[in-house]
Amino acid sequence: MNKEYIVIAFTENQIGVLNRITACYLRRKINIESLKVSESSIKGISMFVISAYTTEEVVSKLVKQIRNIIDVIEVKYYNEDELITQEIALYKISSKLFKENGRVEAITRHWNTRIIEFNPQYVVLEKTGTREEIEELRAELERGGLLEEFTRSGSVVIHRDSIEEILQNKIDSNV
Amino acid sequence: MANKQRVKGAEALLMSLIAEGTDIIFGYPGGQVIPIYDHLYDYKDQINHILTRHEQGAVHAAQGFARVTGRVGVCMATSGPGATNLVTGIADAMLDSTPLVCITGQVPQTLLGTDAFQEADIISMTMPITKWNFQVTSASEIAGAVAKAFYIAQSGRPGPVLIDITKNAQVEEVDFAYKPCIYLRSFQPKPEFDPALAEKAVEMINRAEKPIILAGQGIKLAGAEQALIEFAEAGNIPVAQTLMGISSVANDHPLCVGNLGMHGNVAANEMTQHSDLIIAVGMRFSDRVTGDLKTYAPHAEIIHVDIDQAELNKNIRVALLVHADAKDALEAFKVGLKYKDRTAWFAFAKDKAALEDKLVISCSADPEGKQITMSEVVQRLAVAEKSDAVIVTDVGQNQMFGARYSRFNRTRSFVTSGGLGTMGFGLPAAMGAKLGVPDREVVCIMGDGGFQMTMQELGTIMQNRIGLKMIVLNNNYLGMVRQWQQLFFDRRYSFTDLENPDFAVIASAYGIPSRRVTEPCDLEAAIAELVDAPGAFFLEVIVKREENVFPMVPAGASLSKLIFNE
Ligand SMILES: Cc1ncc(C[n+]2csc(CCOP(=O)(O)OP(=O)(O)O)c2C)c(N)n1
Ligand SMILES: [Mg+2]
Repeated sequence: MNKEYIVIAFTENQIGVLNRITACYLRRKINIESLKVSESSIKGISMFVISAYTTEEVVSKLVKQIRNIIDVIEVKYYNEDELITQEIALYKISSKLFKENGRVEAITRHWNTRIIEFNPQYVVLEKTGTREEIEELRAELERGGLLEEFTRSGSVVIHRDSIEEILQNKIDSNV
Repeated sequence: MANKQRVKGAEALLMSLIAEGTDIIFGYPGGQVIPIYDHLYDYKDQINHILTRHEQGAVHAAQGFARVTGRVGVCMATSGPGATNLVTGIADAMLDSTPLVCITGQVPQTLLGTDAFQEADIISMTMPITKWNFQVTSASEIAGAVAKAFYIAQSGRPGPVLIDITKNAQVEEVDFAYKPCIYLRSFQPKPEFDPALAEKAVEMINRAEKPIILAGQGIKLAGAEQALIEFAEAGNIPVAQTLMGISSVANDHPLCVGNLGMHGNVAANEMTQHSDLIIAVGMRFSDRVTGDLKTYAPHAEIIHVDIDQAELNKNIRVALLVHADAKDALEAFKVGLKYKDRTAWFAFAKDKAALEDKLVISCSADPEGKQITMSEVVQRLAVAEKSDAVIVTDVGQNQMFGARYSRFNRTRSFVTSGGLGTMGFGLPAAMGAKLGVPDREVVCIMGDGGFQMTMQELGTIMQNRIGLKMIVLNNNYLGMVRQWQQLFFDRRYSFTDLENPDFAVIASAYGIPSRRVTEPCDLEAAIAELVDAPGAFFLEVIVKREENVFPMVPAGASLSKLIFNE
């Protein structure tokens, strides 16, 4: 059954690793929903967070192939509920509507958004939350014909157990 | 660490290669590697550079060298078209786990990304077909990159790596000091062997009545030939080989039941289907071995030993995964192993072999004996070479006859393009093989189609006096495709017949002694002439046009659905 799987990989900070990892998805014609690369809490080691819809069988094989990439130190896949995941989204609304439509203020308060820019043309709201929360707010604004533009980040995740500790142990024990 | 020496990057490259034990490079020069070639001129006494006639020849030669010696093959090409000409061989080496270090020149760093003359992004192009690749843009990176390249190419499951060196890095000066790479924190080439797995495996093996060992190329790569035989003998377990595993066990060993897969032996395939325990070692359950997965080995539990964790549970779900080096595992499996008679199981093997003999081997494709058949050529060659030659094949029917009827008495003696099935592989790979084991007899078996894909390498053979024996099985067809057309496409021979030149004359033009035979009565003498020739010899054999390779498991069909004739 297709569902969302999140692959987390820790790699050497080397040019080309990104391509090698995405090529594993490409070969199997799996579309990447979101991808984020950043430095992990250990200096010189990058952390990849990749989400894609596929089956457990495929993702388990994919992860083994990613593990074979020379610069990959550790890689695992997770169900969404094994991770604490947050995304950040920005919503642009015309200032005119923002001021005139009586519902906007209530919506923004209800959804816990923050105004990060307010000028005569438009207002930019920011919201942090789960993918579902972000999508719900988007739907609500769209229904009201309020939304002009929308963008969201990939997932920022943290594991319920400490994976970085496992990683550090692995690096230490290899030395 | 060696004393530091101030040298140019190009020289640092050669010194690094020498430090890794390289004494032969297959290559082709061009604008962006001229500095390296300039230094090669001074290193002739330490590095034998073989100038091929095409970069594809260089990479296949490096593969052939690596496959027979177990050492890393090194090839070199210039940027752009030189580099792209290596691509097929690199892909081939990736699928067949062949350790290669490929070196390409690249435009100067300042021109990268500008569509400069002969710039090709070979790093991106070879990313999915290399185990690792790296672009060097400064001389100071060269020694480190070469060290890492050799370490990665030959550790764990071997494979090709590529180093792309910009021209500026070749001409800059650097303080050279070489330190081999022995460890990378992100790469664990050899898994630690878990003794508990051996215990579990032995328990399963001791329980089994009809076990069979499937030996793949991993046996050769791990140097586990002896361990395999000792294990098999200790448990009295039959051994079947994959195409890539051929020659890891001598054909005349009583436990050897032949080859697996599409054109394998009836016994090996049928035993897979009747076995209660498969012990697969250093093989990857390729679709050419398994046929239809749903009906594969229906009664067997499977123990899969592989050094590559990504192969475990990839194509087939198995009962016991053993992520290990083949030799470690086989040595451990011997402990506590029970010897069983298995009289009925070996009788089954014998029956199936007899069936194959009756339906295929002893019934000539040309019963009237008017024409020479490919199977006859290979069988006669095996006898004439006393099972002692290295056999290199091209791809197609010639390859399958080569695999079926050649005989081997020692390992690393059969070289073929298994995973990629690259026509044109044979001649250059055989050339590299002969240079790798100059004291052994090396014979290349080719088809008329594949020979013409890389036949320019006759020039390399001539220039370097490579004592290679060559046989072209000329059926004037792209025979294997024609066979499929005959069997599955209503004999519609769409674009598979070839009008050919007189190949023996071409060989003669290169100064290579040659002979062309058309009559069955001349075959034996012609093969004797080839075997006895002191140097290179080229034999063209005109064979029956429509001979087919049998038995055959049609693509995607069950292993139990063997076909024996048209
Ligand atoms: C580079 C390449 N192109 C195409 C094929 C497909 N192919 C496989 S076997 C074959 C026919 C080979 O003909 P020939 O070399 O004459 O050998 P024969 O089968 O007749 O022995 C072809 C075209 C291939 N394997 N490799
Ligand atoms: Mg042919």
